[in-house]
Amino acid sequence: MDLKRDRDATSPGSAGRQPFKDVDALAQGFERLNYVADRALATAVFLAVQLRKPLLIEGHAGLGKTEVAKVLASLLETALIRLQCYEGLDVNSAVYEWNYQKQLLAIKIEEKSDLTVEEKERHIFSKEFLLERPLLQSILGEAASPVLLIDEIDRADEAFEAFLLELLSDFQITVPEMGTIKARHIPYVILTSNRTRELSDALKRRCFYHWIDYPSLEKEIKIVSTRLPGMEADLRSDVVRFVHAVRQLDLGKPPGVSETLDSGQAVMSLGKHRLDEEIIEVTLGCLVKSMEDGQKIRDAGIGKLLGNTE
Amino acid sequence: MDQKPAEYLTQSVVELCRFTRSNGLSGGLHRSLAALRAVKAVGTSDRESLRFALRAALCSSKAEWDLFDELFKAFEEQSQHTSKPGSGKQKTIVEGSGQRETPSQYLIGHDAGDEPEPEGKTAAGASVRERLVTVDFSHIPQNDLLRLEELSLRLLRQMSLRLSRRLESGHRPGPIDLRRTIRRNLAHGGEPIVLAFRNKKPQKNRLLIFLDVSGSMNAYSVFLLKFAYALQKHFRHVDTFLFSTSLVEISDALRARRLSDALVKLSQLAAGWSAGTKIGASLRELNRLHSRKLQAGSTIFMILSDGWDTGAPEVLAAELKAIHRRVRRVIWLNPLLGLADYEPVTRGMSAALPYIDVFAPAHNLVSLLALEKQL
Repeated sequence: MDLKRDRDATSPGSAGRQPFKDVDALAQGFERLNYVADRALATAVFLAVQLRKPLLIEGHAGLGKTEVAKVLASLLETALIRLQCYEGLDVNSAVYEWNYQKQLLAIKIEEKSDLTVEEKERHIFSKEFLLERPLLQSILGEAASPVLLIDEIDRADEAFEAFLLELLSDFQITVPEMGTIKARHIPYVILTSNRTRELSDALKRRCFYHWIDYPSLEKEIKIVSTRLPGMEADLRSDVVRFVHAVRQLDLGKPPGVSETLDSGQAVMSLGKHRLDEEIIEVTLGCLVKSMEDGQKIRDAGIGKLLGNTE
Repeated sequence: MDQKPAEYLTQSVVELCRFTRSNGLSGGLHRSLAALRAVKAVGTSDRESLRFALRAALCSSKAEWDLFDELFKAFEEQSQHTSKPGSGKQKTIVEGSGQRETPSQYLIGHDAGDEPEPEGKTAAGASVRERLVTVDFSHIPQNDLLRLEELSLRLLRQMSLRLSRRLESGHRPGPIDLRRTIRRNLAHGGEPIVLAFRNKKPQKNRLLIFLDVSGSMNAYSVFLLKFAYALQKHFRHVDTFLFSTSLVEISDALRARRLSDALVKLSQLAAGWSAGTKIGASLRELNRLHSRKLQAGSTIFMILSDGWDTGAPEVLAAELKAIHRRVRRVIWLNPLLGLADYEPVTRGMSAALPYIDVFAPAHNLVSLLALEKQL
């Protein structure tokens, strides 16, 4: 059995067909899939795709960081492989693991065979017994480059970050029992971070960087109209304006775009045509997720916030 | 830019990289190469895309991201002034930084703040100028040192070991490490006779010490500095900062092998000894310039101060809150807490209290020893 996969990976740039002609083509593609991307984001994604370099997206929660990877995957018509990071994430659950039960059985079965110890060892440490976890999957893609989403990398610890370096710069993974596995197709890598901690310089150096900020009023209205096409224009602008007024308050967790969408959806399904104090009060839970923040909004006066939006 | 040949384009991109680097962005040759490739990929016909591409390639944090736009603008303006691009540009900026005229140059001045070089800052309130006294520390009596060392050894056992959730192979019974078990038992034909276990891997904490050397702390600062030095030896990593009205990092000076050497080194750093106190502003500086030293989950943040703050208490509260969110623990050691009738009612102190995990006295060795129980 062929244990090593040392075939040459597609080198960046020479990958024959480039998926996007220019930044505009990519931006239009995103729009087609209902993701409103500004030019800065489109440029960053374009570069990441074109130069096959990872893209690190930072920003507050609920602004569509993860969505970028999903949309990119469906735009490229390729698989999305997602690795959700958490504290204590280790190589066994991120890269690969041996199928121990199967290995033990195989050892038992081969007990009576004439194979030498070396042959047995080679057999039970072959691909047949390897469980592929997301990172390994991402470089083993047979058909085309997948999109690899490493979500909330700031939650994993430094040791794991250090491990990622090999993958992100050389697109290869070393399994001690098998040797080094090189990517057949270099994946498009998107990393997201909520900035709960600073990432290491070595990791950041390998990535393009994009900061997603809260959208402007016009952009957010556009996003809402793309995502909730059934919503009336007046109501849409009411909701977005109100959310913008709320973001001005000093909240513990300001509402993101996903909160805007939730709250718009809620107001719509209650059959309202305009926003008023009462409806905001009952749907406040869509917008802020803590008692203190809710209280702050009430203290500031919902009516006043609504009034400011006019 | 676009009517010139590719060589000129390369040159100006490299110029820009050098310009941004000398004005506060991180990165080296690697970044420049990425920028060049990025420019090639998007082309130069659209200026906005060009700027976005360069920004994506050259920045690596929100702070840099914000800085970049100003730097880019400054660079453009400069390119218009100097007809011929060359190393002369570099020079203009360095000279300009003294005068602080354009916003980007103002930022240059700001970024240099972490260097020990004293700057005549005009700050309202506390002290108008830092008193640039170089204090001679080498006359400190050595008799407390032994006990301090002993104490820090004990503190070490309590504080610097943390069981992380990551597991490693070990010998004590625990979850079975199947991988190693199989490896070890190949010789027995796969019969699992010798078991390998997965044990918790102890991980040392990092410590960040934030020491007040303002006038009101005069009686204690030298003593606490020794404490900081002793702690230094026993943590995975210790960063130490002095502050009064601004911030000075002394981690390197403190890493001297002997305490007396460290103190001599320190006496050469002018750190605004005995000046006024701006805790909030100093914390902000820490957050802004050194936030990577506050690693989530594994850092213990220790402030040694009496809480007499002349800055706005809201600033102190906001900055301490940001730190509290990131680190494992915030410990505030206050020498005044040793006084029988002391209440933490100073504006700064009461603003900070909600974000402090451990609030303890630190006026003598006994109080520091008592601290160990709380850690």
